[in-house]
Amino acid sequence: MTIDQGSLIETVEELYESAPCGYLSTLPNGTIVRANQTFLTWIGIDRQDLIGHKCFQDFLNIGGKIFYDTHFAPLLRMQGFVNEIAFDLTCADGRQLPVLANTVQKRDAAGRPLVHRITLFNATDRRKYERELLLARQKAEQATEELKRLNETLEERVAEEVAERIKAEEALRQAQKMEAVGQLTGGIAHDFNNLLTIIVGNIELLQRRLPEGSERLLRAADHAMEATRRAATLTQRLLAFSRRQPLDPKPIDANKLVAGMSELLRRTLGETIVLETVLAGGLWRTQADPNQLENAIVNLAVNARDAMPGGGKLTIETANARLDQAYVEVLAEPVPPGQYVLVAVSDTGTGMDRATMERVFEPFFTTKGVGKGTGLGLSQVYGFVRQSNGHIRIYSELGEGTTIKIYLPRLLGSDDAPAEMPAKPPVMVRGSGETILVVEDEPALRVYAVEALRDLGYRVLEAADGRAALSIVEQHPEIELLFTDVVLGGSMNGRALADEVTRRNPRLPVLYTTGYTQNAIVHHGRLDPGMHLIGKPFTYADLAAKVRQMLDNEAED
Amino acid sequence: MSSALEQNNVKVTGRGKQPMLFAHGYGCDQNMWRFITPAFEEQYKVVLFDHVGHGQSDARAFDPAKYATLNGYAEDVLAICRELDLKDVIFVGHSVSAMVGVLAAIREPDRFDRLVLIGPSPRYINDGDYVGGFKQEDIEGLLDFLDGNHLGWSSTMAPVIMGNPDRPELGEELTNSFCRTNPDIAKHFARVTFLSDNRADLPSLKTKALILQCSQDVIAPEAVGRYMHQNLPGSEFVLMEATGHCPNLSAPEETIAAMKAFLRDPAPIRTAA
Repeated sequence: MTIDQGSLIETVEELYESAPCGYLSTLPNGTIVRANQTFLTWIGIDRQDLIGHKCFQDFLNIGGKIFYDTHFAPLLRMQGFVNEIAFDLTCADGRQLPVLANTVQKRDAAGRPLVHRITLFNATDRRKYERELLLARQKAEQATEELKRLNETLEERVAEEVAERIKAEEALRQAQKMEAVGQLTGGIAHDFNNLLTIIVGNIELLQRRLPEGSERLLRAADHAMEATRRAATLTQRLLAFSRRQPLDPKPIDANKLVAGMSELLRRTLGETIVLETVLAGGLWRTQADPNQLENAIVNLAVNARDAMPGGGKLTIETANARLDQAYVEVLAEPVPPGQYVLVAVSDTGTGMDRATMERVFEPFFTTKGVGKGTGLGLSQVYGFVRQSNGHIRIYSELGEGTTIKIYLPRLLGSDDAPAEMPAKPPVMVRGSGETILVVEDEPALRVYAVEALRDLGYRVLEAADGRAALSIVEQHPEIELLFTDVVLGGSMNGRALADEVTRRNPRLPVLYTTGYTQNAIVHHGRLDPGMHLIGKPFTYADLAAKVRQMLDNEAED
Repeated sequence: MSSALEQNNVKVTGRGKQPMLFAHGYGCDQNMWRFITPAFEEQYKVVLFDHVGHGQSDARAFDPAKYATLNGYAEDVLAICRELDLKDVIFVGHSVSAMVGVLAAIREPDRFDRLVLIGPSPRYINDGDYVGGFKQEDIEGLLDFLDGNHLGWSSTMAPVIMGNPDRPELGEELTNSFCRTNPDIAKHFARVTFLSDNRADLPSLKTKALILQCSQDVIAPEAVGRYMHQNLPGSEFVLMEATGHCPNLSAPEETIAAMKAFLRDPAPIRTAA
């Protein structure tokens, strides 16, 4: 068998017709004059329907047609060829065939275009990859965008956080400032109280001992005493602010307390201000020092009055209130969430701006003219409320008025009858030779107390520290009252001494005295129930009344 | 302030006095006039330029707000005229630049002697009885297509032209041109062009105009050219044998002949406003 060598060699026609690409020849206007079988198969058109009847552009979609006229044809004319242009061909069945077109323009000797040779590659796969690449790029861009947005919101969130932090720090600074000022004023007031006690004692001594006929000196002593009293009031307020005043908390019905004050308030407010009290029914009870709560309300009323020089309305309201977690969380100072009794004092006065509101509880901060206010009123209220585990809130609008709200913790599970206001102590009650042991490490104070008690008719023993006091108690069973400073020099403080003495003689009453209360006798500023305290500086009369009361109570038991 | 001459890559040739200002259309640059201008350099001062974002213009001057309508491009044409102090201008505009010339001549009618409008269209999208040649969805499809970056409308252009070892000078020229063109600007220009509607401006034109209409022009069909002719007072209309949208490239002789016939016509017709 012989093989026709010629049949082994592919003909040019074979190569042309069955090439893996489409071949087209078109006139310069696009009319197709020749096409290979591959193109016909792709498009699904018969040769006789194509040649001379169709333009290359006819198979392009609208975008392709525009591109052909605006880019493809001009480039072809200018540079003689165009390579790798992506077109979509519309097949006979409507399918879109993605192709890459390479085109050469044949020209005559004069440079006039004769024919375009167009080679088309099936770009279905390539277009798919391109689409995937485009999609991947889009996704990457979206991811980048997303990341950017996250970053931006992160910045926003950080900014918010920082702002929040700054606010919290600001509040903390304010709280710390109040605390520091409190420490300072408390320390000063304590020392000052000791001094005042000595001054009071000695003036009283002078008042009692000045010989007949020395009226001028007596008047001088009276003036000195008056000034000293005012100084004592001042230190009392400082102590109140620094939360170191001895409090005597009792169950309180705030409605009753407010109602009981209306006469006093009306006199304080004067005729141009209308007082209105709105008392809530079913008001819970609270626990606080009733005297101090009264003081606080009077203080607020006085401030309100001063804010309404042309008259106005003062409203005192009571209500049950609940401070929730969200509310207490943002407060600078720790306030436990829960149930509170609200006492609100509102005026229709001048109001105050934010800057004033922020400083209004600071001691010696006052908006009143020189000599018109000490700047201690609100500080005292603030200190009292905080010391009572309460919360104080101020709302004010310039030109509208101010509301100050005092929240005191609800008293739960106590059947104690609300405290009646303590009766004013009797003016002067003398002793009848009862024996009293005075323990005081400060010599001048001890001398004053001893002198005063002797003057009142008591027999007085004295000791400078706990140990000495104990041995005197041993030797003198006739002692009927122990009067001791809370803070003593040496190893034994007043509380330890009292505990020891009481252990030996449970019936022996103990009267404490102190300048301030940050020590054993006062738990968190409160007197232990059943303990008696006379705050420094005490007057002769205070001492007389308190000692008498204790001895009499003891006798009644 | 930047010079319009630099911004628009202005080239001035020719030995005549009366200026002929050639404005290229969408998809090309001043190179598209290469077969036309030699015929006029003897008698006229030939001024060529690239629109901002095309050719070797300064793409940094592209301001999407300014070029949001064709008026931005018309402003550039007037700026070039002012800087070169061109008067009695014969404006030759192709495709979208035909409308740019119309807008410029409406603004400063005294500066222009005649307009040659090649393949002009005041609106590409059909509108009621008006035949623009494209349906709304055609154009939207086109713009989507451009966004998809297929066709090599901008990005595949550079490699195409770089691979031209036979005529390196041409390759260099066009490579530079297209490489510098921001694809985003090309897309923007396509959007502004194909969404433009300047039909209402046509009656305001007071300058004598020649409309060169190609046969089988997909982009500006014959009906559009005839609409232009009807709405431009005193215009001349020539239906060319040339097909496609770029007779200046595909049929330069016919184009030159039609232009010269128009320019020989002695008295420009000024219609009363």
